[in-house]
Amino acid sequence: MLSRVAESLFWTSRYIERAENVARLLDIGLNLELDAGVQAGPGDSSPVELALSILASRESFQAGNPGADRTAVLEYLTFDRRSPQSILGMVSRARENARSTQEVIGVDVWRQINRLYLYLGGQRARRRFVASPSGFYTAIKESCILFEGLIQNTLPRDEVYHFLQLGRYLERVDIMGRILHARCQSRIEPPDPTSGETGLDLVRWTGLLRSCSAYGTYLRSERDRIEPVGVIRFLVLDPDFPRAIRFCVARCRESLKEIVGGDDDEVASSAERLLGRLESELRYIDVAEIFDRGLLPFLDGIQTTCRRVGEEIQRTFFLV
Amino acid sequence: MLAPQVSEDTALFGRYRLAAYDEMFDPRGRPRAHYRALHDRLLRLGPEELDRRHRLADLSMRQQGITFTVYGRDQGVERIIPFDPIPRLVDADEWLTIERGLQQRVRALNLFIRDVYHDRKILRDRVVPPELVFGASGYRRECVGLRVPRDVYMHVSGIDLIRGEDGRFLVLEDNCRTPSGVSYVLKNRQVMKQVFPALFEQHNVRPVDDYTDNLLAMLRWIAPPGCDDPAIVVLTPGVHNSAYYEHSFLARQMGVELVEGRDLVLDRGQVFRRTTRGLQRVDVIYRRIDDDFLDPLTFRTDSLLGVPGLIAAYHAGNVGLANALGTGVADDKGIYPFAPDIIRYYLGEEPILGNVETFRPLVPSHRQHILANLDRLVVKAVDASGGYGMLIGPASTREQREEFARKIEQNPRGYIAQPTIQLSRHPTFIDGSLDGRHVDLRPFVLYGEEIQVLPGGLTRVALPEGSLVVNSSQGGGTKDTWVLRGAENA
Repeated sequence: MLSRVAESLFWTSRYIERAENVARLLDIGLNLELDAGVQAGPGDSSPVELALSILASRESFQAGNPGADRTAVLEYLTFDRRSPQSILGMVSRARENARSTQEVIGVDVWRQINRLYLYLGGQRARRRFVASPSGFYTAIKESCILFEGLIQNTLPRDEVYHFLQLGRYLERVDIMGRILHARCQSRIEPPDPTSGETGLDLVRWTGLLRSCSAYGTYLRSERDRIEPVGVIRFLVLDPDFPRAIRFCVARCRESLKEIVGGDDDEVASSAERLLGRLESELRYIDVAEIFDRGLLPFLDGIQTTCRRVGEEIQRTFFLV
Repeated sequence: MLAPQVSEDTALFGRYRLAAYDEMFDPRGRPRAHYRALHDRLLRLGPEELDRRHRLADLSMRQQGITFTVYGRDQGVERIIPFDPIPRLVDADEWLTIERGLQQRVRALNLFIRDVYHDRKILRDRVVPPELVFGASGYRRECVGLRVPRDVYMHVSGIDLIRGEDGRFLVLEDNCRTPSGVSYVLKNRQVMKQVFPALFEQHNVRPVDDYTDNLLAMLRWIAPPGCDDPAIVVLTPGVHNSAYYEHSFLARQMGVELVEGRDLVLDRGQVFRRTTRGLQRVDVIYRRIDDDFLDPLTFRTDSLLGVPGLIAAYHAGNVGLANALGTGVADDKGIYPFAPDIIRYYLGEEPILGNVETFRPLVPSHRQHILANLDRLVVKAVDASGGYGMLIGPASTREQREEFARKIEQNPRGYIAQPTIQLSRHPTFIDGSLDGRHVDLRPFVLYGEEIQVLPGGLTRVALPEGSLVVNSSQGGGTKDTWVLRGAENA
């Protein structure tokens, strides 16, 4: 496949994945703020504002919106074309990339991304957003999932598919790392597994699980009440849950292997080597060890690997 | 001017007035024979149902991103070409004339290009003035003596036809370089089938779907000798080009890669594309980039769209190009008036399709006539297209006419003039009812092992009332064109 096309595919699905996660963050943030008292705590960001930190957009937001409120944050992260991290910003870049790959992704996948883009820029989206923000974000989420569903159900498992997968799962590792990092940092100290959880904390951890569509699955698999260690174990180390970091790293490595080809014993690219090492670490590490080493440094390490994998993919496939 | 005779339901045709040559109605307001079934069907559907289906068609196009880019304002805005849901019908006999006429014209123009770059017999025999050929903006010195595979230059052409007041089809313009619009022909048909399935059952419409198969077969045919399974690509200037959708559509339909200049690289005279598995060879390029931008080493050095060294590879016979280089000499508007003579010269036949009467300012008597009648003529710059650089006399201001008069006197070779022709009109869905609008027709011709005319074509319609400009860049829309199968070959 053309290197240019491969690069566009990779970024198309990265941007759509990011857009979906921004919608998830804002939706759950809004939901949490409706529970009285959640914003309390000096130095604590409100859940919606936390999204600004997760997306590294706090400074750019404050530059354009002095003394702004929740609505301004939502507006900025949803419709502001100037903000590179807004849903509309993401979707339009995804579309720009997809435009140059129409002949390989097929009519259905292209149309879905185009529909989402046209919807977001139109009046209907505005009215929905005002009438029911939650309904609006759900629609965005579902639209992104439909994009992925069409990829799954209309594309053959060739290079096109695997570059799309690679972009999606690498982005998901990245954003999950950021979300967990921000969630744990805002409490200044990493959660102490021995301390009793207050009702407020419970709401927040539950919110985190819900934003990842993980609440029910967590309860079934951990058979336990919601507590920080369990949540971290589940969202980082679970091998089967599709938004858990370990699961996503494994999908990245699989797709990369398919792209590179070659036999199983041979490691053909540095990106594959990096992913393989991360995957086996996630497979064999115990959650207690993560906390021993420090949760934040551990998450930092994942972010670093993610960035390096991205750079290696760029070097190996896109800059021929 | 009278209203057509419509039976019970007058809402749909209530505002309809006959003018010019009407495609659907005869001068007495009765539907022409091949339009009767459609006319009845439209009456039964009624304005509301038509409106609903029109919006359906519009939405479908928008969601599929079937757009083109308008240059100028806001550095390129994406739009869909307005699509009119009333199909334009061409009956079998009339189509046969068009088909033969186009085959004849394309064959002759191709011989003309070959001659101009080799023996120049037609110039020596004084049939076409050499200064017009060498002064044409599409003439390429680099092509002199260059043998192209199978002596075919204009593999893909789009010849614009109009129908004057007497109902005869005439050639208005030849497009021999990189004509666009065929993707709309195919897409319009798809959308019409979704929106008006029952209409198709009542008509015996010739399919257009095999165009891309034929295009692919032609591209394979021009591969360098000894190349059994040629790697074919479509070369586009990129996503910001106005016809990008078409480039992508054609690549997709043919199952070949769509490349930009930066995806290609030359190595020892061979063209390669950059892929995730290294460099891979390219044998045939369907290029949708103009000559000037194709290779910065040969043509414009500031071009970032092209591929350095491509022309050398072409000269060496290592890659096939469609269309060949230098075909612009055949569609120059300065050459256009000579097309009938070109046909007679090479083929010894009378032209089947005529030209529009054309005056050339280079001829003193013509110049006098033009300058005295600017308010009634259409003046065109010979090297412009897309409806740019034109003066439409009856719709012009005094300042515009004075400006063109000056230009014509300064540069008589740069312009031609034609009488303002009332293009034929066709019922078109405007604000909830049908009204007559002027149309033209661009059929597409492929020159491979044989010369094939796509049975259909792009019917362009000038949407503003009374307007004669059908170009999409000037507010024109499109219609699906149905070529009907005759009784004998049904």
